[in-house]
Amino acid sequence: MKNLARRIFFALVTFVALAVVSFIGVDALPGDGCTALLGRFGSAEKVAECRRANELDKPVLARMGDWSLALIKGDLGYSIKRDLPVADVIVPRLRNTAVMAVVAALIAFPASILVGLRLGRFPQSRLGRVTNQFSVIAMTLPEFVIATVLWLVLSIWIPIFPGVNVVPSNATILELLPNVWLPALTLAAVIFAHSMRTMRASVMNVKGMPFVESARLRGTKEKITVRRHIVPAAMPPVLNVIAIDGSWLLTGTFVTEAVFNYQGLGRLAIDAISDRDTALILPIILFGLAVYLIASLLADALVKIFDPRQRNAE
Amino acid sequence: MLGNPLASLRSQRIKPLVLFTIVFHVFVALLAPLLPLASTDAQDSGSLLQGPSLEHWLGTDSLGRDVFSRLLHGGRPSLLIAVIATLISALTGIVIGSLSALAGGWLDDALSRLIDFMLALPTLILLLLISSFFGQDPVILSLALGLMYLAPIARVARSTTQTLLARDFVRVARLQGAGNLAILGGEVLPNVWRVVFTEVTMQFTWILLAFSSLSFLGLGASPPTPEWGLMIAESRSYMTLNPILVIAPILMLASLVLAIQALVDHE
Amino acid sequence: MGVDATSEIVELRGVEVVVRGVREGARPILQSVDFRVAQGESVGVVGGSGSGKSTLLRLIAGVVSQGLHLQGGSVSVFGKSILESSAQEREEMYGKSLALVAQSLGESMTPHLTVLSHFRDTVGSGVANEEVLRSLAEAGLAGEKYLQRYPHQLSGGERQRVLLALALIRSPRLLLLDEPTSALDVSIADEVLKTIKDLQTRHRFALVCVSHDLGVVSQIADRLVVMAHGQIVESGKTAQVLQRPGNGYTQRLVESIPKLDRRVRQAQNNRVETVLESRELTIFRGESTRAIDSLSFEIRKGEVVGIIGESGSGKSSLLSAICGLVPIESGDLRFRRDQDLATTLKRRSPDLLSSIQMVFQNPDDSLNPKCSVARSLGRYTNASREEMVSVLSSVGLDERFLSRQPSQMSGGEKQRVALARALLASPDLLLLDEITSALDVTVQAAVMKTLSNLQRDLGVAMILVSHDIALIASFVDKILVLRNGQLVEQGTSAEIVESPRHEYTRKLVSIARQKSVA
Repeated sequence: MKNLARRIFFALVTFVALAVVSFIGVDALPGDGCTALLGRFGSAEKVAECRRANELDKPVLARMGDWSLALIKGDLGYSIKRDLPVADVIVPRLRNTAVMAVVAALIAFPASILVGLRLGRFPQSRLGRVTNQFSVIAMTLPEFVIATVLWLVLSIWIPIFPGVNVVPSNATILELLPNVWLPALTLAAVIFAHSMRTMRASVMNVKGMPFVESARLRGTKEKITVRRHIVPAAMPPVLNVIAIDGSWLLTGTFVTEAVFNYQGLGRLAIDAISDRDTALILPIILFGLAVYLIASLLADALVKIFDPRQRNAE
Repeated sequence: MLGNPLASLRSQRIKPLVLFTIVFHVFVALLAPLLPLASTDAQDSGSLLQGPSLEHWLGTDSLGRDVFSRLLHGGRPSLLIAVIATLISALTGIVIGSLSALAGGWLDDALSRLIDFMLALPTLILLLLISSFFGQDPVILSLALGLMYLAPIARVARSTTQTLLARDFVRVARLQGAGNLAILGGEVLPNVWRVVFTEVTMQFTWILLAFSSLSFLGLGASPPTPEWGLMIAESRSYMTLNPILVIAPILMLASLVLAIQALVDHE
Repeated sequence: MGVDATSEIVELRGVEVVVRGVREGARPILQSVDFRVAQGESVGVVGGSGSGKSTLLRLIAGVVSQGLHLQGGSVSVFGKSILESSAQEREEMYGKSLALVAQSLGESMTPHLTVLSHFRDTVGSGVANEEVLRSLAEAGLAGEKYLQRYPHQLSGGERQRVLLALALIRSPRLLLLDEPTSALDVSIADEVLKTIKDLQTRHRFALVCVSHDLGVVSQIADRLVVMAHGQIVESGKTAQVLQRPGNGYTQRLVESIPKLDRRVRQAQNNRVETVLESRELTIFRGESTRAIDSLSFEIRKGEVVGIIGESGSGKSSLLSAICGLVPIESGDLRFRRDQDLATTLKRRSPDLLSSIQMVFQNPDDSLNPKCSVARSLGRYTNASREEMVSVLSSVGLDERFLSRQPSQMSGGEKQRVALARALLASPDLLLLDEITSALDVTVQAAVMKTLSNLQRDLGVAMILVSHDIALIASFVDKILVLRNGQLVEQGTSAEIVESPRHEYTRKLVSIARQKSVA
């Protein structure tokens, strides 16, 4: 337990340190909420007035203090450009991204473990090799290529799913659902390939370990050998990949959302960046950081469930 | 030092197709400006979105530019940036990682923590920020990409060095009076390089794809530069009219990264 | 053969195993092997690395290792052709008719399962705890405490006993053992072997035991089979093979068994100068564990000191401290009376550094895989080509080795190069950490011979660490016996071998005597 507490502490330290760096970094970017609102050609007086009104003329450390105090109270800040509280802008987008992430995860992860186990046990089967080749391709190609191809095939050539999304960001989940499929499939293809290949490699590795043969040679039934000896030993690397990919589903979907104009967090990030709406950019960066750190902690904890040596090391 | 990875590649029986693809891309990227191709920017307003013809082998895009010529030029920006950025990330990553392991103590702690920090950074959004706020400057972008991707290499180099330092031949070298620098150059680097090489090659493709993705989002290569990601983005609206516009750059990009991937894939 | 054909449970005929995909004419792994085991018989298979002994054993269990291919011959176990049997038939057979216990490197138990889970998975989830306990007790592990332990919470010997119990719980008629003791300490190995012998007399199963160590198999086998280069070179009753080996290779193998013998060498009167002196030396392992606890001893010029100890005895920590790789916690360690060794490498003068050289245990780790021999030898010593050639010849290698890469050399050759590299620094004290323990017995004997010649010619003081008292007793002047960081006993080679005072030393000597008589 001491170890876990230490890891949580380090994750917090990392978060705070990077949050400070991000705040200063974003602040140092040319432009702020006022220039964003008034445009590049807003007159100097107007910009100064706007800054005074929004307390943007305070020194950076003071603003960072105010901002973090507000953050602790649950206030994410105010977008001058959009004239809305940041939370009101971000939360619906986050929901949309989460819906897409959940759909993608449900499609990809269970299947990837089952298929990876199968292919790891029988890597030479023809279907196995084809699946593996496709996974290499899905893993290597950038999302915008996969997304474009899926769109071309599943929306234009065989019109099953709607292509470009026209649903507003605050639509109900039911309205949203038909538009989730293409982006979710794109993401699912990537993470399926990733975790399936990891599972496959891990199973192939574990399968050749002495303890597996040893179990077989003392008469352990094949089903039990696979379920109790191979699978638990093969899981740790896959759990790591699932954790990292899981955090990517929530925070790394800019390209996919851009392709399908899906109104999620990634789309918002790109809009905010091109609008220079720094009040939105910072929470999005911090959200990405937090999700990554939590996912890594989670992966560590999950790995311990499967490995008694690590459990006892605490 | 550089001979080793090449030797290990040679022994891996590279498939001829893979080798051909890579050689093809390198050739095209280097020689495209010298080839007798149509101009990449010349707009033929009389023939927009044309199919393949004798004049335009792969047709024309929405501005009437020659697709074939743009296609052959389209790998140059990403390849150039990927090469520079990979060199930056590989060299600094290896130096930081192996020095960190070799130094030990507080310096190692500090550098490891720095590497952890860098791994936690949301890479793509930072790239978007940098490119958006500092203009789409290839020098800044390759520097940023190189720095952002050095952490994984530094980590691999550090752990490999640590393993090496515990090995008997390194201890013997110390007994024979070798100092830290001699150990680094003579015992560590030749053995680290081989392990890191795979990582570096993978990173090369990641960086290449990251830049392409940026271009696709409109924040990498800036128009009218021919770049595959950008070409795909520009032509997506005309996909139904002339699918070649999208399919051709996809095939180019895919063949390049898949071939590089196959180079390091040990199966 | 005089064995009744109906009592035979294993029969291999004309077996040929080759590496898959290798061009014709390459040496096969197994070559026209005929091998039989009768009901209740105990057969030992001995051979060096690459002799094909493990391949043979696995073949009996119906396993052809990946990359290998059975080219000819037949393998019949309990009258069935096991290689042609279906997966289900084999599942039926394993555990009930035959069981194999693989090499005891501690990787044969599933790391995430408790001992009890291993039994449940093997026998069925309905197995009674009493039955498991009885089976464990028979294998020498009494007590319920073992049931809930994970493999990493067991010692090497305990793991081997659990694996034995697992293999025998369903009373198979044939037990196959692959190097049952190679990863265990001498005293533990001896006890495990006794248990195996007990179990065999009690349950009357047939036993095939494979080992590189003639001493091990001869203790439990009625019949010996000697293998070399994929062929059976000799086969016969254990005593007969040991006493009158008919084959040249067997002869060498028997001769290579270290004979427990004290050192006989003329007294030398120049040995008054002290090379190394240790007073109340304490070395820590990690934060607070004492790897070496107040150890005092002395080495004079040209003297050879043997240190006997099992894993955890602190012998490697001691050597590392002498050459400066680990710091000293307390006590006094002096080199040539005037130089304090309580400093780590970085503080030592170049002269002091080169006066103390060390050769490590693992041949695959001792040379930089990226460097030719010439480079390994010359990089830090600046030796000329002539010097390299001369030192190579003193360790029994010739000039041609200068251009070799580590990957082109055998383990014995690599250790010789490592020795040569140490000698190039013209040390006054040479530390040798188990340098032959990873080598085949015949190679080990040759390296020891080289060492003996070197000592005679150069008169360099040496510390020789080993777990095997028989190996060094005839070579060293003085022996220190270490256990858990404590000095158990020290004396001249003759004193230790002929009249050991401490109980632990007596046990080690008696095991060594048993093996060398065998």
